[in-house]
Amino acid sequence: MTSTEIKCWGECMDVAVQIAHKAGKVVQEAVKQEKRVSSKSTPTDLVTEADQQVEDLIISTLREKFPSHRFIGEESSAAGEKCILTDEPTWIIDPIDGTCNFVHSFPMVAVSIGFAVKKELEFGVIYHCFDGTLYTARRGHGAFCNGTPIQVSKEKDISKALILTEIGAKRDPATLEIFSGNMLKLLSAPAHGVRIIGSSTLALCHIATGAAEAYYQYGLHCWDIAAAAVIIREAGGCVIDTSGEPWDGCFR
Amino acid sequence: MDDPWMECMDHCIAVTKEAGKMIREALQKDISIMQKSSPVDLVTETDQKVEALIISSIKKKYPTHSFIGEESVAAGAPSILTDSPTWIIDPIDGTTNFVHRFPFVSVSIGFTVNKEIEFGVVYSCIEEKMYTARKGKGAFCNGVPIKVSGQEDITKSMVLTEMGFKSDLQHFRTMMANMESILTIPVHGIRAPGSAAVNMCLVACGAADAYYHIGIHCWDMAGGAAIIREAGGVIMDITGGPFDLMSRRLVTASSKAIAEHIAQKIQPFPCGRDDTED
Repeated sequence: MTSTEIKCWGECMDVAVQIAHKAGKVVQEAVKQEKRVSSKSTPTDLVTEADQQVEDLIISTLREKFPSHRFIGEESSAAGEKCILTDEPTWIIDPIDGTCNFVHSFPMVAVSIGFAVKKELEFGVIYHCFDGTLYTARRGHGAFCNGTPIQVSKEKDISKALILTEIGAKRDPATLEIFSGNMLKLLSAPAHGVRIIGSSTLALCHIATGAAEAYYQYGLHCWDIAAAAVIIREAGGCVIDTSGEPWDGCFR
Repeated sequence: MDDPWMECMDHCIAVTKEAGKMIREALQKDISIMQKSSPVDLVTETDQKVEALIISSIKKKYPTHSFIGEESVAAGAPSILTDSPTWIIDPIDGTTNFVHRFPFVSVSIGFTVNKEIEFGVVYSCIEEKMYTARKGKGAFCNGVPIKVSGQEDITKSMVLTEMGFKSDLQHFRTMMANMESILTIPVHGIRAPGSAAVNMCLVACGAADAYYHIGIHCWDMAGGAAIIREAGGVIMDITGGPFDLMSRRLVTASSKAIAEHIAQKIQPFPCGRDDTED
């Protein structure tokens, strides 16, 4: 990276932090209002007007400042835009992570903004909309929660681990059987426990702060993981594919 | 006196705040863990200290009252509910979360007279949310009135439950089958935050529409039961019959319709009772 690039990505991150705060406040207000809810791929894959509005706010603000950059956003992808990661500076955005939680005012909802250049994740910013906590990390510069350095737990023994996961939108018998089977293996380890909170980005932030030891999931999208992957790595943790192989950012 | 138990409730809130402060302070230090009935049934010195703080404070003011406290029972005290004014205490509900510093940790106190729950106090101490309810006087979070969502359509509901280690494989399979049964209704989602008392308060304030659990204890349920009822919610046995505080199981919901639907879907498995020897 050139020194110009280093400075530029630092400036991009400052803007990301500002827009995450702004978007987060919009979500905080929207959670108190009545929500118009519809579904996407299945009856349990929810989306609201707020998801669209917040994504538009984030992308329009960033586009104005960085007109040559690319964008991958959850709602833009749902509307048909391609989700291909190129070498170009690319923002990877989940405007409301935990839409189902948002609909119910269940207190785990986040704005997630990741940034990649030459397909390498450079920084991540995640804003917890209910309690205003900000998680940030820049590649090579550590991970922070409200400006305080964070690191993953040092636990290596699965029988002392707290594990996070999600059930997901797929409810067919085969998927649920796999889910149960995975629960049996983990709870019989016996892990200390399994928790489900409904926001993958916040679950990953809890790994980064050491409040849980592991998170696994099938069916995530790149916008769910991009920001959190930087935060976890900078907090000393690791991100791998569920097969045990290296993680491919857009592979679900 | 207009309300003979209001003074008890005020004292309860005050001692609960102190307990919450003790828990938050303990979270800043190392936590050493012991095990009770199994490698995943955790207890810490803080559980014991907090319970001792609460009981000694209440005993000083109300020496004739009875107590059922999680750690006292673990140490051999009886857990039979009598007609006596009785304090039912979980000093740290969500001890596993506490050990990991995972955000749902609460102090839970329910107060019964003639086996009726008169008031409940649940303090979600990391979030600093104090939930309170006096029978007939409504439910509150940090002094602001709360109420259940009122949702009656289970296909639009958010359901809470917990998944725990079960030494009996058949019990485990029933637990997972119950989850699948609920998921395929379908409901909007299932969440498992890790504290029964907090789960009940999440239903009470409308952030979830139902919570069911087989295998918890009276000290997990007593405080939250008052709060849910006063928030307009429903609490019943998993069979659809009346709620039994010592039965170690419950279904709570924002409406009778949802509670009954869940009760119809889930199968029981043996979980013992708090008032009998296992």
